[in-house]
Amino acid sequence: MQKDLETRFLSDFETNQNIAHKICRIYTTNKDAHNDLFQEITIQLWKNYPKFRGDSKFSTWMYRVALNTAISLYRKSTRRIKTQDISDFAYKIKGHEYDDTEEKQLASLYNAIHHLNDIEKALIFLYLEDKPYKEIAETLGITSVNARVKMNRAKEKLKNILNP
Amino acid sequence: MDLLENYKKAWGNQPEETEKLTSIEIYKLAHSKSSSIVKWIFIVGLLELAFWLCLNLLVPESFYKVYADLNLEKQVMFFSILHYIVIVIFLYYFYVNYKKISVIENTKNLIKRILNIRKTIKYYVYYNIAIVFLSSLIINTFIISDTDMLMKIMNPDNLPVSVDKIIMITIISQVIAIIIFMVLLWLFYKLIYGILLKKLNRNYKELIKLDEFN
Repeated sequence: MQKDLETRFLSDFETNQNIAHKICRIYTTNKDAHNDLFQEITIQLWKNYPKFRGDSKFSTWMYRVALNTAISLYRKSTRRIKTQDISDFAYKIKGHEYDDTEEKQLASLYNAIHHLNDIEKALIFLYLEDKPYKEIAETLGITSVNARVKMNRAKEKLKNILNP
Repeated sequence: MDLLENYKKAWGNQPEETEKLTSIEIYKLAHSKSSSIVKWIFIVGLLELAFWLCLNLLVPESFYKVYADLNLEKQVMFFSILHYIVIVIFLYYFYVNYKKISVIENTKNLIKRILNIRKTIKYYVYYNIAIVFLSSLIINTFIISDTDMLMKIMNPDNLPVSVDKIIMITIISQVIAIIIFMVLLWLFYKLIYGILLKKLNRNYKELIKLDEFN
């Protein structure tokens, strides 16, 4: 039984681990912190996996657990940074066929997101991941109307940082 | 096209993490030790419960002689039992609140539940401070109202000091002791919980603020 659960968890997690990595990139700014948060997310996912009923997709469930871990459980403060050099940006992209302008856009996007607060980060992340407002509101525990209002503010803030 | 839509496209096209973990690595990570805020709050909470329990248990025998001298043994016995029952109730709530924490809840409820543990501990500490305060007040009233007793306890060597002076010294020294004790305790809590809860309080306020605006 336990073995069965473990096998399912490992395969679910392996295919979806990129979600956790993206959240780590948003909430941390260096490799060590990234690994720390990634570890905590993995622990929390596994600890709560027996409670995962399978009535939603694993990825949907994972968004919630991983974001909650980053916002509420992760010990180190994910406090906003004042300045950050794009060159020390932890995110490195490999592969030559990759579009250069998109690469730059992505780097400045991550850089801008790092200036948002924890809740705004979650909102923007879920927007970028194309999640519906209903799911965003449910994940954060706020009403859809409020999610919309706050999202618009967060987007404005992000735009101002990207294009001052 | 909206500025953000452009970035969103870049986001969607971002390559997957190059250092992908294998099943074995994930397995190892999943079974490693958590160092979450909740765990730290739980540990600090347990230490606090233990600290006050130790204080209760470590009061020297000789201290109880005062009660015997004052003929208060029965009352003290009764209140001690009541005191321990209250402590058990606190322990129970502490545990229940801890168990209720679930990372699969929505963010707002999760933070609320974590802050609830902190609240239980806070009341526990208030309760203990109140008990220390009240019991010393009662004992002092008894002692001061009985000048023979007061002289016996505060001036065992029979130094030539007046009763009024002894009363003054008793009151002043007790007040100073209590103030020092309170300040130390306050600093301790500010430091420990300030560090542990700063982030949670900030994020909770951010979520609450949303609901209040509309």
